[in-house]
Amino acid sequence: MPEYKGMVQPTRASVAEMRKIHIEPVSDEIKPDKAIEFLDQIRKKFRSFVIAMESCTKCGLCAENCHTYLGTGDPNNIPTNRAELIRKIYKRYFTLEGRWFGKLVGAEDISLDVIEQWYSYFYQCSQCRRCAHVCPFGIDTCEVTFIGRQLLHWLGISPKLHATTGAAMEKVGNHTALPKPGIVDTLEFMAEEVLDEFGVEVEFPVDKPGSDIMYIPSSADFLLNPYTLMGAGMFFTYIGANWTIPSTVTEAGNFGFLFDQYWTQRGNVMRLLNVAQELGIKKIVWGECGHGWRAAKMYIPTLADRPVRWPLTHIHDEIANLILKNELKLDPSKNSKPVTLHDPCNYVRACGLNDNMRVIMNACVTDFREMCPHGADNFCCGGGAAILFDDPEMYRRRILLSKKKAEQVRATGVGKDGEGILCAPCSICKAQLYPMVEEHELGVEVKGLIDLVGKALVWK
Amino acid sequence: MKLLIGQILPYITVTLFTLGILYRLGRWAGARIVHNITLSPWLQTNSQVAIRVSSEAFLFRNLFRFDRALWAGALLMHFALLNVLGGHIVGFGFLGEQFALIPGLGITPELSREISGLLGSIFGIVLWIALLYLLYRRFTKEAVKMVTEPSDNLWLIYLLVLVGIGNIMRFVPGYHIEYELVRDYISALILFHPVVDMDLLNSVFFLAHLLLVQILLIVFPFSKLMHVFGMFAERYIVNRVYNDPAPGLPNVDVASARKAGLGVPDGDAAEEEV
Ligand code: HEM
Ligand code: SF4
Ligand code: SF4
Ligand code: SF4
Repeated sequence: MPEYKGMVQPTRASVAEMRKIHIEPVSDEIKPDKAIEFLDQIRKKFRSFVIAMESCTKCGLCAENCHTYLGTGDPNNIPTNRAELIRKIYKRYFTLEGRWFGKLVGAEDISLDVIEQWYSYFYQCSQCRRCAHVCPFGIDTCEVTFIGRQLLHWLGISPKLHATTGAAMEKVGNHTALPKPGIVDTLEFMAEEVLDEFGVEVEFPVDKPGSDIMYIPSSADFLLNPYTLMGAGMFFTYIGANWTIPSTVTEAGNFGFLFDQYWTQRGNVMRLLNVAQELGIKKIVWGECGHGWRAAKMYIPTLADRPVRWPLTHIHDEIANLILKNELKLDPSKNSKPVTLHDPCNYVRACGLNDNMRVIMNACVTDFREMCPHGADNFCCGGGAAILFDDPEMYRRRILLSKKKAEQVRATGVGKDGEGILCAPCSICKAQLYPMVEEHELGVEVKGLIDLVGKALVWK
Repeated sequence: MKLLIGQILPYITVTLFTLGILYRLGRWAGARIVHNITLSPWLQTNSQVAIRVSSEAFLFRNLFRFDRALWAGALLMHFALLNVLGGHIVGFGFLGEQFALIPGLGITPELSREISGLLGSIFGIVLWIALLYLLYRRFTKEAVKMVTEPSDNLWLIYLLVLVGIGNIMRFVPGYHIEYELVRDYISALILFHPVVDMDLLNSVFFLAHLLLVQILLIVFPFSKLMHVFGMFAERYIVNRVYNDPAPGLPNVDVASARKAGLGVPDGDAAEEEV
């Protein structure tokens, strides 16, 4: 179902696919009632949601600060209007003013059409939190779409992409359904590549008991972003770490965070804690993934069902720390093409990685050019929250959603001669930007940040 | 009419306003802060948090950073409003002589009344004009038009009328009202004395102003005006102290790893090439 009454929508998971992730879809007749029932349950739990429902003054500041509205011009892509899609229902059923004044304050009865609106517009939000960053009160529309997507999921409406990924996570522990033999093979192949290309001998230990460090790569790094994983391997080898990659959680991301924060997200957290205990590791180091790092760093403490005994850090934090302590020898001239940095939203607005990315960048490249705006003020790539849909209608939307980013990249001038680098150290950003830099003809190659580190390391 | 608006309604208003706000805040408190959704870059100490929250609350920092025109309009409106509200309290409380009470300035009661009057006039006008600008904005800025509900415009119009009546009483000599009369009225209300016979309540403008204020206060807890509290409640969620755990990898000694030549193939087979 790519369109519904003029609204674009991602292809849905089938009933069988929903059952695989333990959801029994609700039939259309009772969907509206169930929606109210679920909303009533969840609204009582999340204060961030309640405040978003009850405190917005409709000042409109968030509108031109959301790339989805800038790119599509669609009024429902204005953050507060996106929230209004659920707020109008919330008002109608759960507030006095909505019951008494109805339309005047924008209250509306629930209907299947409203639920379809949710599905369309909550899956155009990339949950990048730029709205929260600019709102005079800090109202976070991302919290609203989290809950909106959760309700849809409980009703049995989730995108095929998300549902099948959720099922893969449960089955093998990563998004790309890569089983252990595939993991081991790919890593061996990568080690050969590293030797060929960089002249360095690297080993990628898998499930090695007694390791000190457990590295969690993004599963996309095995196929789509190999240089990121190769860079990590070179880094750990360079510093002489006793490290390993767990075959049961070869996934820095956690799609559960994006559509089902109850079962699916928790499932992967428990897998992680289990394997950390089994392997007897001392510290968990996270790979490049924006939403995944947020889900890990900020949510594991409140999602875990037992004490978490392992400190968690991001590989960028560790690399930056060693750079600041002068322990890495890096030669920036090995990365001499002009580079600009796309700040993954989750890193800069939810995980505090802002400065460390720049520490690394400045140590690894010669011609670094900032985008405007950058850091915490940056705009999203348009693919966040895994809205990486490939059906033609949604793909066309993705081009629009990345328009703002394209303008920013173009303005830096790095791609002027067709050989710039757009560093986007997040798997979803990469997946969005690989095709988008072509669509917008930006003349840049998309790379991770660890890719650049790997290349800049001086071995002798 | 006088009995209803001037004598009975005030008690109802105060009760509903207080209970309404308590109900609303209780409802917010009942929902929890489930996960840590602090916005980064991190604020690392309580004083940084205090500075951030107060610069948002009193200087409208985000509006300043992302929309200067709205910042100017909103700040003027709220600043004037704050002063007008404060002015009502001290003006009636001290009959305009509040500035004479500040020791060391040597302000006479007469001068204080002058200052009080001047400030009241300025803020009354600024407030009205700023509200007008905010309304103008709602009809002219494309994106703002698209987020506006009828009630958003109604609020602004309502305040324009309310403040407008206040300004009429201030600027049209025939309708002017002495501070003393209002003070006596309010103290009578507080002491539960009858007020219906007071001269004050014969002023149609005063009655209208009083009625509008009371309706506003009754509706307040059920409206977007709750953003006064919402702002602090939300900031309490998204702006908190967060300190990253210290970096540092277990059992890693880079210097000796480099000395051992880890990763470098034996016999220097591969010279580094770019
Ligand atoms: C610390 C206290 C307060 C803060 C931080 C605050 C902040 C804000 C901000 C940032 C806006 C959005 C900008 C705008 O649309 O003008 C706003 C709007 C508004 N505020 Fe406040 N406010 C506070 C107290 C109040 C109070 C006590 C009232 C009482 C009447 C009030 C009435 C309004 C109205 C009517 C609007 C909507 C203006 C419009 O529609 O454009 N505010 N406030
Ligand atoms: S910026 Fe905040 S208060 Fe203003 S409209 Fe958007 S969500 Fe509402
Ligand atoms: S989270 Fe990002 S995409 Fe979603 S409404 Fe806010 S600014 Fe727009
Ligand atoms: S995909 Fe990248 S840019 Fe976009 S929301 Fe995630 S982190 Fe943000």
